[in-house]
Formats: sequence, structure tokens, C-alpha cells
Amino acid sequence: MTALLQFIDVSFSYEGRSVLEDVSFSVEQGESGALIGPNGIGKTTLLRLAAGVLACSHGTISLAGRRLDTLRRGDAARLVALVPQRFEVPFDFTVQQIVEQGRTPYLSLFAGFKRRDRQAVEHALELADVTSLRNRIFNELSGGERQRVKIALGLAQEPRLLLLDEPTQNLDLGRQLELLDCIRALNDEGVTILAAMHDLQLIPGTFSSVLLLEPDREVRKGHPQEILQSHILERAFDCPPRRHPKLVGENQIALEKIL
Amino acid sequence: METEITEKIHAGSAAPVDRPRFPARVLFILTLLLLLVALAFVIVLSVGMGATKIGVREVLGSLFNWHQSGGADSVILFEIRLPRVLASALVGAALSVAGLLFQGLFRNPMADPYVIGSSGGAALGAGIGLFLLPRFSFLGFSATAAMAFVGSVATMALVYWLARIGGRVPVVTLLLAGFAVSTMLSYSTYFLVVLDDNFGLRTRVLASWLTGVIAVPRWTQLEVTALMIGGGLIFCFPLARRLNTLALGDDYARQVGVQVEKTHLAIILTGSLITAAAVSLGGVISFVGLIVPHMARLVLGPDHVRLLPVTAISGSIFLVLADTLARTMLAPSEVPVGLLTAFIGGPFFLYLLRRTRREYAL
Repeated sequence: MTALLQFIDVSFSYEGRSVLEDVSFSVEQGESGALIGPNGIGKTTLLRLAAGVLACSHGTISLAGRRLDTLRRGDAARLVALVPQRFEVPFDFTVQQIVEQGRTPYLSLFAGFKRRDRQAVEHALELADVTSLRNRIFNELSGGERQRVKIALGLAQEPRLLLLDEPTQNLDLGRQLELLDCIRALNDEGVTILAAMHDLQLIPGTFSSVLLLEPDREVRKGHPQEILQSHILERAFDCPPRRHPKLVGENQIALEKIL
Repeated sequence: METEITEKIHAGSAAPVDRPRFPARVLFILTLLLLLVALAFVIVLSVGMGATKIGVREVLGSLFNWHQSGGADSVILFEIRLPRVLASALVGAALSVAGLLFQGLFRNPMADPYVIGSSGGAALGAGIGLFLLPRFSFLGFSATAAMAFVGSVATMALVYWLARIGGRVPVVTLLLAGFAVSTMLSYSTYFLVVLDDNFGLRTRVLASWLTGVIAVPRWTQLEVTALMIGGGLIFCFPLARRLNTLALGDDYARQVGVQVEKTHLAIILTGSLITAAAVSLGGVISFVGLIVPHMARLVLGPDHVRLLPVTAISGSIFLVLADTLARTMLAPSEVPVGLLTAFIGGPFFLYLLRRTRREYAL
């Protein structure tokens, strides 16, 4: 396996405040990684750096063996897609119209959609299981449906790496499970995934690895079973004594029954 | 197990999903054709209306035998009516498209060249040009036109800067910034009117600019403005596709390779150019850029590529009709067309504001 995404000593500061410091890790081709860490540690910033929306202050970010800062934005957008957490659409676009915007990196200013673009949009709608919603107005959809449409939008870029920012947030259990299925199905299709996850219980069984961001420590990466241990999480999330999450205990078993 | 859930998803969402729709492309082409026919019809009708009524047959006869006509009717037709009707068609198209561009730029359906002060900036700029450089002319462009453009761009830049908070432009900051800037601009222009009266310097054109009156332009002026607006509209087509992407947010657009700042600048410059051209023909005409794109969106949906030509033609039709009404309803005196559009547009603006009231919070 080769590294598809690689961070080497990446730092990022915003308005003089350091958000990320000397972060190094890599995500292999075909992996599905869950990015976890306490609030405000910089998970979203890390994803935005990986997507090239932000530029790092120090260090190197490589995508498929090429330095991200040497890639043209449009070219980078063919390799990596970021599905944002917040996404507001001021006008009544249909699902199809929204997903079509994912083809922007492939279109010149004057040329219209070609067959290849239409196929990519169809495929994205199918993979995210929103084909039946295509003529619905995005703003009228439920939270779970919107989340899947956002994933389809990212997939229309035909990226090798799909970045998801808290994809299960604000979804009820049923919709969360649907979304996890979607993530697994995408990974089976060969899409490499890195998702910032808030709900740690949803990780085992869906993600092949966990990346833990901790204050003042190196990124810890490993199999979910390795990382999701009480003593590790207790320290990383600064849990009060004896109230740490029982992750590899009963909760996971309960969830596995549902899955 | 996965397939089970996938099937469930299908079963769950199959029922009310696909609302039957008229194929969008067919609807678009039909609308466009219908509007073109309507525009031609409205122009012919409007040219015939006025103190001297000219029948449709005479109008068409004169129009298609351009050089052979020489009677009194054809003088009225070619020197007064036709230039004015064409001017109102141009102004309508320009203001409507500028409204569409600004709404896309601000991601906000309340933006309009009048509301955000772009028209006011153009009028003040033109007024200053008229005062300071009355004799300047370059390739048929007077200082007035150039200064109108400068005024419009400067105002847009100011409102854009004032109203943007963290990459978003909330309704409330946009309207407040637009209101404050427009008020300052229109009173500054009014100050020029006062100076004009005091010193008996020039024409009364400034006063009419403030209320929005489409004057009878000279043919050369019409040609130059048509070129400016036509050029601007052609430049709008690649921008329209970008507006669709920008509608999903600056961050998203940046992610898929759109050069957001440059695109914003291009939209501001193009929108200001066509607004300035419109103001140089008809002064400050309110709310056209608000009503027309909104109506077009109701029929065609929010795709800017399709909205652009439809908005341009509908804007022409709207303003030709409004201006015809303005010059005939109280004949022989004339109602400023800006007053008419304010009467129609004001309540419409309030209706829109009420509909979007959930966005008031910052």
C-alpha cells in the first residue's frame, strides 16, 4: 500500500493562534480512517488543509505523491473532495443541480456537460443512494438525506480521497447506521476515506483505522481496537475519573447487534 | 446485511419522491421563445403609443422600410419613440441581470442594484462627471459614463466590504449597509442638483436621474450603451455557471477550484458596468433587479445559466411596459418610471423580506 495522503510536520496558525502543530501521519490508499480528538483540537482544520482549502504555515502535505501546494486547485480537486459539515444553499436548487456542481474541476468555463460528466453524476447519485431524490429540492430534505446528497456532491468529483467532516452529526440512530453503510459501501468501491467522527461508538466495524489528535502529542494511529481503549481515550479527552466511555465494552456489543 | 438496509432506504424514500416535472430543458427553450415573441410584440405596441397614435401596420411598415420613410410619423417613430423604447428595453435587461448577478454574489435574493446602492453610486459618479468634466469625451464615451462606472464599482466594493461577515452576507447587514450608503449617495446627488440650480450650470438631467426617467437618447448614445450592456451580458455567461458553484458557499467553490476572489471581482465589475450603462440612460430606477430575477426563478428554478437570458429578456419586457405606462397614463404629463417601479417594487420587496424573516438573526 502507498500513502495517498501524507502530512509531514504540518503546522497551521490562524490570526496568530496556533491551531495545529507539527502534525505527521499518513492515510494509505484504500483505507477508511476515522479522525477523532477533543473539541477544538483542529479536526476540521486538518481536513481543510488536506483538501487544500487552507494552506499550512509549515510542513508538507502530499497527495498521491505530489506536494499539495504545487498542484493547481482544479487538479487537486480531482484527487480529493471535502464534504463540509455546514452547507447552506440560499436558493431552491434540486439535488441533481447540486451534485452537478461537483463536476466543476472537470469543466472549462465555456464548455457544457459531456457524457463523461453525466455518467459521473449518475454514479455519484447511485453510490450515495440518492438517485430517487434527484428532482427534490435540497432545502426540503431531511438531515440524513442532505448528508447523503453532500456525499454524492463530493463523489461527483471522482476523488481518490473523500474527506468527511462529522458526517453523522445531528442524525438519529437509524440515519447514522444508513450513513455508516454508505461509508462502508464507498470504501468497498475503492474510495479512500478520512472522516472526522464525534461519536466514537460508531467507529468499530466501519472504519479500518483511527487517527487520534491529542493536545501536545503526536498523532496516534492504529486499528480501532488499539486506539479505542479507555486509558488512551481517558487521557486524550481529559475525562473525569471513572466516568470514561466504555467503548470496547457493552456499548459496542449493543451496537454490533443492531449492525 | 448491508443490502437489507439499502433496500429499506429505497422502500422508505420511494413513495413521495419524484415529483413529476415538465422537462426542464423544454420548459427553458419554450420560455425563451415565448419571451422573445413577447418582447417584439411589446416593442411594436409601445412604439405606436403616445400623443400621436401610430397603428401597428404603420409601425411595422416604417420599421421594415427604414430609409424610405420621411413623414412626420416616421420622425416621431425614429427620433423619439424608438430610441426611447429601445433605451427602456436595454435598461430593463441591464438592471435585471445586474440584480441576478448581485443576488448570486451575495447569495441573497434581496440584493438589487438599487437596494445595495450600486445605482445610486452610478448616479452620483455621473453627476460629478457632468459637473467637473462636462466637455471630456473619448471614443464617444463622456466623462459621465466613465464616472458612473467608477461610482458604481466603488459603491459595490464598499457595500461588499461592509456587509460581509465571515464569508457570509446576512440579509440584515446587506440591507443596512445598502440603506446607509444609498441614502448618503442620493443626498449627495441631491446636493449637486442644488448646486446646479444655484449656479445655473447645466441641464436638469440630474434631478431626473434621482427619480428615474428614461430620456430620449441620441442614436450614438444608444449604440454605445448597447455595446456596453451587450458586452457585459456576453461576459455574464461564464460567470453564470460560476454563480451556481458559488451558491454552495465560498469554501465549497474554493475547494472545487474556483478562484473565488477573482470571480467576485469579475461579478462586481460586470454588474457595475451594466448598472452604470443603465443609469446613464434612465437614472436610478428601483427594484427592477429584484422583481424580474425573482419571477424568473419561480418559473425556471435557480440555475443561473438558464436564468440569465430569461432574466435579460423579461427585464426588457417589464421596463418597456412600465415606461409605456409611465409616459401615457397621465398624458400629456409624464410620470417618472422610477416612481412606478417603486410603487410595484416596494410592496414586493417587503413581501420578500417577510418571507426571509427567519434569516434576520446574525
